[in-house]
This record gives sequence, structure tokens and C-alpha cells, in this order.
Amino acid sequence: MQTLTQLILTGLQIGALYVIFSLGLNLIFGVMKIVNFAHGQFFTLTALLIAVLYPYFAGHGFSHVMAFCLAISAGILASLVLGYLLYQFGFRFFQRDLAGSFILSVGFVLFIEGLLLHYFGGAVKSVPYFVEGSVSILNVNVTYQRLILIFVALVFTALLYWVLGHTKTGKAMRAVSIDHEAAMIQGIPYKKIALTGFLIATFLGALAGAVMAPLAMVSPTVGADYLVKGFIAVILGGLGSVPGAIIGSLFIGFIESFGGFYFDPSFANIAIFVLVMIALMVRPNGLMGNG
Amino acid sequence: MDKKTLSGSFVALAVAMALAMLLKDGYSANLMAWMAIAALIASGLRFVTLIGELNFAAAAFVGLGAYASGYSLTILELPFAVSLICGGLFAALIGVAFGYVTLKTKGPYFLLIGFAFTEVIRLIYTRIDVLGGNSGMIGIFPPDFLWERFTVFAVGLSGVLIMLMYAIEKSYLGKCFIGIRDNDQVVLSVGINVHMTKVLCLSIGAFVSGIAGGLTAFVNNVISPADFSFLLSTFALAYLKVGGEDHPIGPIAGAVMLVYLSSVSLSFGGGDHIFYGIAIILTLLVMPKGLFGLLEHLKTSRKTSSTVQQSTRESQI
Repeated sequence: MQTLTQLILTGLQIGALYVIFSLGLNLIFGVMKIVNFAHGQFFTLTALLIAVLYPYFAGHGFSHVMAFCLAISAGILASLVLGYLLYQFGFRFFQRDLAGSFILSVGFVLFIEGLLLHYFGGAVKSVPYFVEGSVSILNVNVTYQRLILIFVALVFTALLYWVLGHTKTGKAMRAVSIDHEAAMIQGIPYKKIALTGFLIATFLGALAGAVMAPLAMVSPTVGADYLVKGFIAVILGGLGSVPGAIIGSLFIGFIESFGGFYFDPSFANIAIFVLVMIALMVRPNGLMGNG
Repeated sequence: MDKKTLSGSFVALAVAMALAMLLKDGYSANLMAWMAIAALIASGLRFVTLIGELNFAAAAFVGLGAYASGYSLTILELPFAVSLICGGLFAALIGVAFGYVTLKTKGPYFLLIGFAFTEVIRLIYTRIDVLGGNSGMIGIFPPDFLWERFTVFAVGLSGVLIMLMYAIEKSYLGKCFIGIRDNDQVVLSVGINVHMTKVLCLSIGAFVSGIAGGLTAFVNNVISPADFSFLLSTFALAYLKVGGEDHPIGPIAGAVMLVYLSSVSLSFGGGDHIFYGIAIILTLLVMPKGLFGLLEHLKTSRKTSSTVQQSTRESQI
């Protein structure tokens, strides 16, 4: 029973991270119909900056909490600037061009990864927990850091649902993702909506990096691993579907948790792939994809 | 393929092989072999774009070919030629199974599943002890009679395979592939099995990638799982994009240029990631049709009469 609870909590925690990650991928695909491979770079940049800036701020007389807040804000801000640059000098010209945008994003991945390796070095960095200590849930010890991760995922998923369902911008994004030309005829400023969607997605990617940094070894290539899983989650759920991304992410989280415990991590990765292939045989557009 | 193209490409291949013959120095000979292999992988990638799909599993097929060749040669002790063909056939076989399942999906789904496939296949090598696990396989040597001249062999074989792919592209089958890319419903309406045709196209691409993998194993003598990550597909895509994908010369030109430039950039101590990244980004933003497209554009915009266009097109081949 205790093992089961432990595994479910681990699965939820891994799944929660993929949820934040894949919601961003999904949003970009929805509004711009592009596959952004450089999404992992927002994750990496934020995590790396926190790993470098937290000790810097903490060493300059800031309190633990203050130093973290500053480091996280700086990391997310830097990612947003990066996202804006990528949009303005790249993806803007490749909207609705799947192959072109994909290749461009691969170019960005290589370029940014090279720069990060050059400036941050290849060495693995670690980040201390935001909040030390743990709590006991059903006889299982769970660190606060993991709870924060699950909490952040819940809050931002709910927030995104609310934005997409109830705000003018959110409704415009949904309209654009269904038929951007019809949306433009209705007077929706497509370019502005595309940029907004891209930046929200960037923010989600950076946020995933921020909450994950203390739980993972941070290195310039850390984003790539999460990116693969995030994409598999999106394919499984169906590109462009928000509930699909959540289901796909949780599914992968649970396979990783259970497969990793009863077998080993690389078995879990192979199992995920085989199961996704089977799912795609039945539903070529993902579980929740339309058509 | 018309006679002029055929003779032209044979002459080009003969010149390339003669050049390879002249290279005595180990590094430049290896560099030329890598260029030929890169051109072959990029051409294989281009071949699958005929059905309108971006085959990111190409790196996996190169790896499967390399491992199958290495296994056949060092462990089963099969002759050189047989083990090289084994590499291609094994990759093609996996390509049929992979394509049968995944080609029901299209566009982004196919691309991403190919990417995931590459990473999973790489994980599988590390778990099989007989393949050397994480450290890979060693001692994959070409036979004595080719030892000195393996570059010539690699260039020749790559050239012949690229020409064969072009011949298929120009044949009836190639027209079916392009028809599927343009509108698969029309192809379906004349009674062609679209799904199996796509699987065939992917498998031919996988076979070529597998042979390229076998050549890689024989040129480098050592292979490890890290050699066949998705970066390999990415680089192949860079060759294809920079060279231009509208013409079979494109991937060859892109491969020769980028492999050479990256070897130069390595000698300056620059990272090849940054180099390939910038090459891809600049190409896409400045010349979306690649080098070859740019040349074509310059030529056609200078002289617009159709006869001149005809002659320039022929002289390029």
C-alpha cells in the first residue's frame, strides 16, 4: 500500500511537470500550427539561470526566499525575452509551415544549446530546494518541493483553462486555432494573438524549468529529455487538445514511475514508446485529436 | 532519367572517385568518405520527402544499418559485402514495420514519432550486451583489398545509390510518390494502395540509410549508441536544407559544403552545434530554397527566355 501510494505520488509529480511543458507546446501548435523544438531551451535557460543566480543573490546579502524570487523572476524574464526574439526573428515568418518551422526550431536548438554550453559550461549544477522539509501523506514522506511542483501545475492548468474559456484573448486563441482566416475576418488580430500565445507558451516552458530545477541535475542539455517526453505526451493526447495533453502527460508520468520501479528507467522509456505506437495505430491523431 | 543526365552524373561520379583515389592522407580521405556518407543520408531523407513526410527516424535507420553490419562482420563473421548488405536489409525490414504502423499518421505526428523512435532505438543498443552496451562495438574493419581505397568504394557506392534513388524518382513509382505528396485522395481514386506505397518509399529510404550506416561503421571502425542520436537526422536535414531540396544535387552540395566547413570550424575550436545551428537558421531566413534554389533563381531571373532556361538546367546536371 505504501509503495503504491509512493508510486502514484511520483507519477503525479512527473506527470505534473510534463503537463506544464506540453500545455505550452500545444498552445504554440494551436495558434501558429508549428512544432517548436526550441521549447526545451526556455526550460534549460531558466533552470541554468536559477542555478547560477541563486548562489549569487544569496551571497550578496539577500535572504533565501528573496534570492529565490529574484533568481526565478530573472530566469523567466530572460526566457520571455528569448521567446520574443525567436518569434520576432524566426517563427513569425514560418507560421503554418510545419516543415519549415520545425527545421528552423532545430536550428535554434543547436545554436542556443551551443551558446549555453559555451557560457555555462557542460558541468552539472544543482539547486537547493525552495522550501526544506517534507510532509507525510498516507504514511509516505513527500518533500514540499514536489508538492510545490504539483500545486503549480494544478494552478496554471486551471488558469489556462479559465483564460481559454472566459477571456477575450483566450477565445480569440481558440478561434485562431480552429480557422485563422475566419477569425481574421471576424476582426481578430491574428499576429497579436499568435505572439501572445507564443509568449504564454514560453512562460509555461520557463515555469516548468523553474519548478524542476531543484529536483533535477541542471545542465545545458537538460531540456532535451523533457522535450521528448513532452512531445510524446502531446502526440498521445492529440496535438492542439488541452485535455489530451493532460491525459498524455499523466499517462507518461505513471508509466515512468511504475515502470521505473518494477523494471528500470530505460525499460519505462521503451514501454512508453511501444504503448504510444499502439495508441497511434488505433487513433492516428491522438486520443483526443479530432479527425 | 534521360541520357544526358545519366552520362553527366556518371562523369561527376567518376571525377569524385578519381579525386578520392588521389587522397593519400588519412584525414582528408576520411573527410571525403564522411562527405559521401552525409550526402547519401541527406539524399535518403530527401527521398522520403517525395511522399511529403519528414523522416526523422533516418538516424535510427543509419544506426540499425551500422549495428547490423558490425554484428554480421565481427560476431557472425560474414564476408564484408554480405555484412554491408545485411545492414541495408535489416534497416529496410525495420523500416517496413515502423512505416506500416506510423505512416497511418501524417505530418507532425509522423515527424515526432520518428524522433522518439530514434531515441528509443538508441536506448535499446545500450541494453544489449552483445552490441557492447554504452561503449559500442569496435574492430569493424573493411577487407584488406579495400583497406587502402575504402574512400573510393564509399564514394562510388554512395554515388550509385543516389543515382538509383533519382532513377526511382523519375519512374512511374516516383510519380506515385509525388502524387501522394500533392494529393493522396487522387492517387487513391485511381486504385493505388496509398498506405503501402508510402511504406515502400520509407523502406527504400531506410535501406539507403542502413547502407550509409554500414559505410559509417567501416570508415570509423568503431560505433557507439551516441553516434546515432537525433542530431544525426538534424545534421542531415541541415545538408538538405542548405543545399536545396528541389533537386537531387542539393543534398550532395549541402553535405560536401557543411561537412567541410564544420571540419574547418573544428580546427578553429568552434563548437559544431553553433555552426550547424547558424547555418540552418540563416539558410531558412535568407534563402528558403537552399543554395541550389538560389543559383536557379539567379540564373532564371537574369535570362528569361525558355531555351536558355532549358540549357542552364541541363548544364547544371
